[in-house]
Amino acid sequence: MEAEVKDKIVSIEKPELVAPPDWKPVIMGILCNWCSYAGSDLTGTSRMQYPPNIRIIRVPCSSRVDPWFIIKALQTTADGVLISGCHPGDCHYISGNYYARRRFLVTKELLKMVGFHEHRVQYSWVSAAEGAKFAQVVKKVTEDVVKLGPLHLYKKENFSK
Amino acid sequence: MDYSKQIQDIAAKLFTDGKIDVFVGYRMNGFDDNQVPAVITDPKEVSTLVFTEKSVFNLSNYLKADHTRNKRVGLVVKGCDSRSLNLLLTESQVKRDKLYIIGIACEGVVDDKGQKVQNCMECIIPDAVVYDEILGTPKGKKDYIVNADIKALAEKGLVERREYFEEIFENCIRCNACRNSCPLCYCTKCCIDQETATIYNGSNTSSSAFHALMTWSLHLAGRCVDCRNCEKACPSHLPLHLLHKQNEKVIFGNFQNHLAGVEEGDRGAFYKYSLKDPDDFIM
Amino acid sequence: MSFSTFVTDKAGLQKLYEAIISKYETYAPVEKFGKYDYKKVSSLKECDPDSPIAMTMSVKPLFFPRSSKIMKYEANSAGTSIRETDQDPLAGQRVILGVKHCDARGLQVLEAVNKWDYIDSDFLKRRANTVILSNRCDKADTHCFCTSLDYDVENLDAPDVAIVNGTNGKIYVQARTEKGETFLKENSSEPMANRITNDELQMTNCEEDLTKQYEAFLSSFRLKMDYKDVNERMAKRFDSPAFEEASRNCVSCNTCAFICPTCHCFKISDEKIKDTGVRYKSYDSCNNVYFTLEAGGHNPRPAKYRRWRQRSMHKFVYYKERFGVNLCVGCGHCAISCPVNISIFEVVNHVASAPIES
Repeated sequence: MEAEVKDKIVSIEKPELVAPPDWKPVIMGILCNWCSYAGSDLTGTSRMQYPPNIRIIRVPCSSRVDPWFIIKALQTTADGVLISGCHPGDCHYISGNYYARRRFLVTKELLKMVGFHEHRVQYSWVSAAEGAKFAQVVKKVTEDVVKLGPLHLYKKENFSK
Repeated sequence: MDYSKQIQDIAAKLFTDGKIDVFVGYRMNGFDDNQVPAVITDPKEVSTLVFTEKSVFNLSNYLKADHTRNKRVGLVVKGCDSRSLNLLLTESQVKRDKLYIIGIACEGVVDDKGQKVQNCMECIIPDAVVYDEILGTPKGKKDYIVNADIKALAEKGLVERREYFEEIFENCIRCNACRNSCPLCYCTKCCIDQETATIYNGSNTSSSAFHALMTWSLHLAGRCVDCRNCEKACPSHLPLHLLHKQNEKVIFGNFQNHLAGVEEGDRGAFYKYSLKDPDDFIM
Repeated sequence: MSFSTFVTDKAGLQKLYEAIISKYETYAPVEKFGKYDYKKVSSLKECDPDSPIAMTMSVKPLFFPRSSKIMKYEANSAGTSIRETDQDPLAGQRVILGVKHCDARGLQVLEAVNKWDYIDSDFLKRRANTVILSNRCDKADTHCFCTSLDYDVENLDAPDVAIVNGTNGKIYVQARTEKGETFLKENSSEPMANRITNDELQMTNCEEDLTKQYEAFLSSFRLKMDYKDVNERMAKRFDSPAFEEASRNCVSCNTCAFICPTCHCFKISDEKIKDTGVRYKSYDSCNNVYFTLEAGGHNPRPAKYRRWRQRSMHKFVYYKERFGVNLCVGCGHCAISCPVNISIFEVVNHVASAPIES
């Protein structure tokens, strides 16, 4: 189920750079503890498959995600970032995801302006009962990032390719 | 717009009445027709105070300095400065009863060449929003205009935008003048200064400039009042307003026309929410 | 030892520049966002060797970069291993065009500290492999005071080659060091720059012409001071309250130190992610609040005036005591780039003229 990489994938932001043949995208998933993380657990226990390119980090709430988590991820190994939280109204802390939603929009638009493709950073609401949706979301994000190619922007020294 | 005489009189009166310990205003820099901030503790120096359309600095930045902390301060603020002062008051950084605020109904400031600066052309609230007394005739609110540079950038392609911003981050020397000139950056230890923690950036490279400027602008999103103190301070003349104006545009357009620091008690766009906020970009 | 002087005109100088750029790895002032900075160039069109005095950075970053890698390291179960860094990108043979005399003097001043105690071989190697072509300014800028300091601007031997404008469009190209002499001999021959000549007929009145130009240059200075007097007076005024008055406007950013041709403080920081890391040597500034912060939490210089005292005393007293030269070259970059236009000239003169507290 690993994302298939065809020959000659170029980085969309830097078309002069061609991905090496063995390149596989790395997606960082930041999931909220109460819904999305439980949702991803359900995906596993229900034996649904999703691409293994995602590396999951658990946070207490989607509003715990400071914009620089995303920036830091993009500057190190990640080629894409997925952030997932509870559906609006379902937040364990009542309103955390409403605050997060505002920050997500601003961060997304700013990254878009400075030259990152908008599919590099994606957001989703996944509840604890939506195992199938989580598999679908990860599949979509991985497919998107494969199309975009490796990320080369502003990488830290030990991660510059 | 020349209020030098009035400001001198007010400052002198405040000093004689014993209402203030420090007065923060503008004075001539002594070598050309530009001005620098003046932090005055001696009533005799009051005669050096000036205020014209060359008074560009946002003086509320000096409320976090050694000379003014925990003292009674007299202060001159234009429209944008007063919005940042309003935020400082809301965020409990300064006490209102320790301030005497001279508000200006601002007509816009000019740059070195004598041209009106861009943020004054696009200014929405030229009059001071918080003051003890106001100089000039208030003109009221104007309509929000999307920044011309942002409009031009949005029309460019992805690769072009990437190239333009790569140049910006490469030319940043990470002197932190932008951060230190910002009246709303008052943290005693800023996150972009923490060079010992491995997650932050101690090096002076374009990747750490990217990290620092992006983090800084996102922490100011919904609070930035577009006074452009940062841009005036930048030794490389980087167009830092692009980052802030982009955030402002998104926030104004999507979050019930939110503008930072206009109303008293309003803490900024990220400190509140609405059920009607856009949701369509989330899967 | 006397070195040769060549005379040419603007077109001849352009040809010399073109020849240099095509032959050597060349750095020259390039405009970005309305300010100039030294960048690697591949044609004369990209750069402007006659750039204005106010540049973003001095020539310092080409010898002491903003951030340089000291080492890379890797931790694994067997322990920590250190890996070599990449090759120094600044160590090759290169030429820098359009340097100002003050910038070049800054390198000379820095050489003293780099040769003292720990010998910084990287800095010295970069300097030894570089030929500096310097332009003597025709006119002083608002904040310039180079002629008031302890070096002879006219006969400065810090640049390898000095380019001085004469009257009637004449341009004098003077070798100032042996390296410069050989460099000029190699590059002024046919056909690379056939308009450069040291023909006796052309050289007539050279001395007179140069003296006249230098006097005109001297008279354009707004700022003048007696550096010996300032050195003496500053040394006695460590406790002067004048430091507090002079530093009130300071916003404690690092701009002045980063752009200064002579400031050389640095910090060591690691950028480590997972098991691999890079150790960097990057600029630091004594105007930064955290510059002196100790691990235990004590900060000996918490107030602005104490940091300004360190900065100005280091420039005009401590460095002078140790190495015999002022750590200021009078370029005025700090005042131009400072967010609130604080000039080191104003600060030291304010302090030097203040009365001593009894």
